[in-house]
Amino acid sequence: MHQITRSAELTSLPEFRKYINLACSHHSGIDKQITYDLQLAVDEACTNIITHGYQGMNPGSIILSLEFKGAYIEVTITDFGHAFEPIQTPAPDLEAGLEDRPTGGFGLYFIYQTMDEIEYTTNPYGNRLTFIKKLESAVG
Amino acid sequence: MDINFLEKHPADIVQVSGSVDALTASVLTDFLSLKISQDHTNLVLDLNQVEFMSSAGLRSVLAALKECRNKGGDLRIAGAQPGVEKVLKMSGFTNILKIFPDSENALASFSN
Repeated sequence: MHQITRSAELTSLPEFRKYINLACSHHSGIDKQITYDLQLAVDEACTNIITHGYQGMNPGSIILSLEFKGAYIEVTITDFGHAFEPIQTPAPDLEAGLEDRPTGGFGLYFIYQTMDEIEYTTNPYGNRLTFIKKLESAVG
Repeated sequence: MDINFLEKHPADIVQVSGSVDALTASVLTDFLSLKISQDHTNLVLDLNQVEFMSSAGLRSVLAALKECRNKGGDLRIAGAQPGVEKVLKMSGFTNILKIFPDSENALASFSN
């Protein structure tokens, strides 16, 4: 298992992405698009944790782990901020004209578009968000 | 993230490199807003050297697109790499703005 811990600050975002890139490069059969999908989902989730989960608190930490399990990759993001369940929200109106185009709501939408399974658990010891990304066929 | 601005005709080119995420997107938003306020309202946003863009980057693009069109201009995307292009497609942005394989083609489209 690969794991890193960084402070819950926006400056940690590139470090999480770099870490994912490095971990994926050590495993065969993981193409660039799968790596990008993982980076995107983790980036959007961590941005939510940093800007909402730890809102009003001192920045705590975010623990990111990747487990390569043959047919799929399991990504776990643990934080200790306010519980912030990434409930699937309706897709932003993708057909809206420019003036009516929503500017938010894409972060969670991208997570659900790129990952195959998503699970969120919370307890007094932290919040844990788990993604499954299957390797045989890229989603989306 | 780095930004280069090339004054051209009939549109100007904004070359972005690096990552456009929640950390950097506000810099791009402010830069584009400043240029548009200075009447650079026909813009090619060259993303060829952008390795990563999240929803934060999309918000920058959307804000600039609205500002350009409100002033009678347009913003067109050039050179997006596959990962960035997928983000643009997933968000439906490909329905509201024009995307070109490179900045030369995007620039030429403003003459048509």
